[in-house]
Amino acid sequence: MWVVYLLNSLYFAALLFLISLGLNIILGVMGVLNLAHGGLYAIGAYMAAWLIIGLGTQTPALLIVTGLAGGLVLAGIVGWVLERSLIRAMYTRALEYQLLLTFGVLLLLEDLIKMVWGGQAYYASAPFDLLGNVAIAGHVYPVYFLLVMAVTLVTGISIWLFMTRTRLGIMMRAISLDREMAIGLGLPVSRISNLAFVLGSAIAGLAGALVVPTTPALLGIGMEPLILSFIVVVIGGLGSLTGALVGALIVGLTRSFGIALFPEIELPLLFLIAGIILVIKPEGLFGR
Amino acid sequence: MLAEKINAEGGILGRKIDLQSKDEAGGVDAQVKLARKLIMEDKVDVILGYVSSASCLAVLPLADELGGLIYAYDCGTHELMEGKSSPYKVPKFQLGFRTSAHLGIDNIGLARMIKKHMPKVKKIAGINQDYAWGRDSWEIFEAAMKKLVPGVEVVKTVWPPLGNTDFTAHISALMGAAPEVIHTSLWGGDAVTFTKQAMGMGLFKNIKTAWSRGEPYPQEIGKDFPEEQFVCCAGTHYFLYPPQDKNPLNKWFVAEYKKRYGKYPTYPCYHAYQAIYSYKNAVEKAAKTAGGWPSADEIAKAMNGLSFPTPSGTLTFREDHNAIEDVLVGITKMTPQYPFPILDPKRLEVFPAKDVIAPVGTRTVDWINSWKA
Repeated sequence: MWVVYLLNSLYFAALLFLISLGLNIILGVMGVLNLAHGGLYAIGAYMAAWLIIGLGTQTPALLIVTGLAGGLVLAGIVGWVLERSLIRAMYTRALEYQLLLTFGVLLLLEDLIKMVWGGQAYYASAPFDLLGNVAIAGHVYPVYFLLVMAVTLVTGISIWLFMTRTRLGIMMRAISLDREMAIGLGLPVSRISNLAFVLGSAIAGLAGALVVPTTPALLGIGMEPLILSFIVVVIGGLGSLTGALVGALIVGLTRSFGIALFPEIELPLLFLIAGIILVIKPEGLFGR
Repeated sequence: MLAEKINAEGGILGRKIDLQSKDEAGGVDAQVKLARKLIMEDKVDVILGYVSSASCLAVLPLADELGGLIYAYDCGTHELMEGKSSPYKVPKFQLGFRTSAHLGIDNIGLARMIKKHMPKVKKIAGINQDYAWGRDSWEIFEAAMKKLVPGVEVVKTVWPPLGNTDFTAHISALMGAAPEVIHTSLWGGDAVTFTKQAMGMGLFKNIKTAWSRGEPYPQEIGKDFPEEQFVCCAGTHYFLYPPQDKNPLNKWFVAEYKKRYGKYPTYPCYHAYQAIYSYKNAVEKAAKTAGGWPSADEIAKAMNGLSFPTPSGTLTFREDHNAIEDVLVGITKMTPQYPFPILDPKRLEVFPAKDVIAPVGTRTVDWINSWKA
């Protein structure tokens, strides 16, 4: 059973990492705390669900690729529109304005989803059902969960390579370390900030699209991941990608084993850990 | 659908129903504000509401405070109409009613069903949502099981939050404790998510589940929903019960619903029927003595002892403002006629109201604890 507990931890950690990754990129590069992040996750989920249901009976590979691509792309586009119109007005403003604005955007996105897709639930479980189970250490485990872990791994590595090996990525990191200096050096800060927002939004959409075969797309689906990603960011450190990884693993492991051993503590447990970190090391484990 | 039918037949005392649909989202505070607005500003004649037990608990007290009729139509918490200790004064609210039976019948019914089919059961577990509905459902089920099957052991209870999307940790925790049957009051998206993930992780291979309001989910999930699971119907609400040749109202209801919406009606649909027809029948009954459109108080008085036929059988109201229903529990089985498991007609059990509902003024838990072995 312990193997399954571990797998569950990794699955949950993978989802958290993906969600926090996007949040951290935006936070790191632009210094913007994006509460609308949950809305972009939801858009990714709804788009993927709509595509998967619309395609009907197909090979799992086609359904999965279409769903993920659709969610990712739409969230990226919405992110681009948001950044161009609203977010860029926020760079020089105080934090309170950012929180208010992005929260307002979150509510806006929620209503937009209701207008486009209505209030009912979208069940798009074909990819999950079609991939079946695999036997691991005497237990059955759904293959789809392993796929989620694989996609997260690939995404994480891609982002890491992007950030360390490409010019664009290095410029992004430069801006996140010292925005003024970057402007002084003549980096196209405004364009790169826009790109960072699009990238973060697209990853949020990818996370939503990835999760939708395991759970229906419902109104309010973005709320829980938003809160959880904040806990991960608090634990791991604002703006740090390694922090997002470590934070996600800590949360995933504690939740999975916590539920198995002390189920009553499920809800408060994560906030407890975040609280402890805030007291001992307020900037987070890997924060600056 | 029902408002249209009533209006087509002339409305209530000649008045047409204007059915305004409002969203139950936004949390309990938003619902309280909305209820205030509806009663005070919009001056609605009655509010028929709430799926969430949390909403009901928050809003029903407003009925007397603001002088507006509120009918709780679907939420299940037994605490809604009960006092702090037995015996308690009834009714709790003069203008607040519940037009379907509360979760007591589901969970006591399930316990009786398990005793009948698994009389030697030793280990049970529970997965319920961590709010009033889940906690109350488990409390009643556990109390009833411990009385009906002394010596039964609770090996695990897990409490996912409402709206949880990842049940893998809970599923593994349950499987690790090796229960024989798992009680669950999960509903809505959570029920479907849990079942799918549990199917993928092999939970149903060696463990049975007992659903306190599981009747919609075999249809939602389809042919993959596991067989041999205990499913309760929140009353006797099922598209195949009472058998349609015996109950023409059910036959009409199922056919009309399927024509409009493309699927078979489930228990919330029957609950909606009861809500709207309770109001209609109460108004008509009160009008006989009031001579004209009755006031809220006159309608409330007419609700007492009100009894009328529904697609699921006869519905009656007690002086504690609770609706009284029998409860149907079944076992899922795949048949060639339907694309999803139905409740095996050969093993349907109906437990009468007197066996599953506490007497007036007695708290459900106290009533269970008073049962003799």
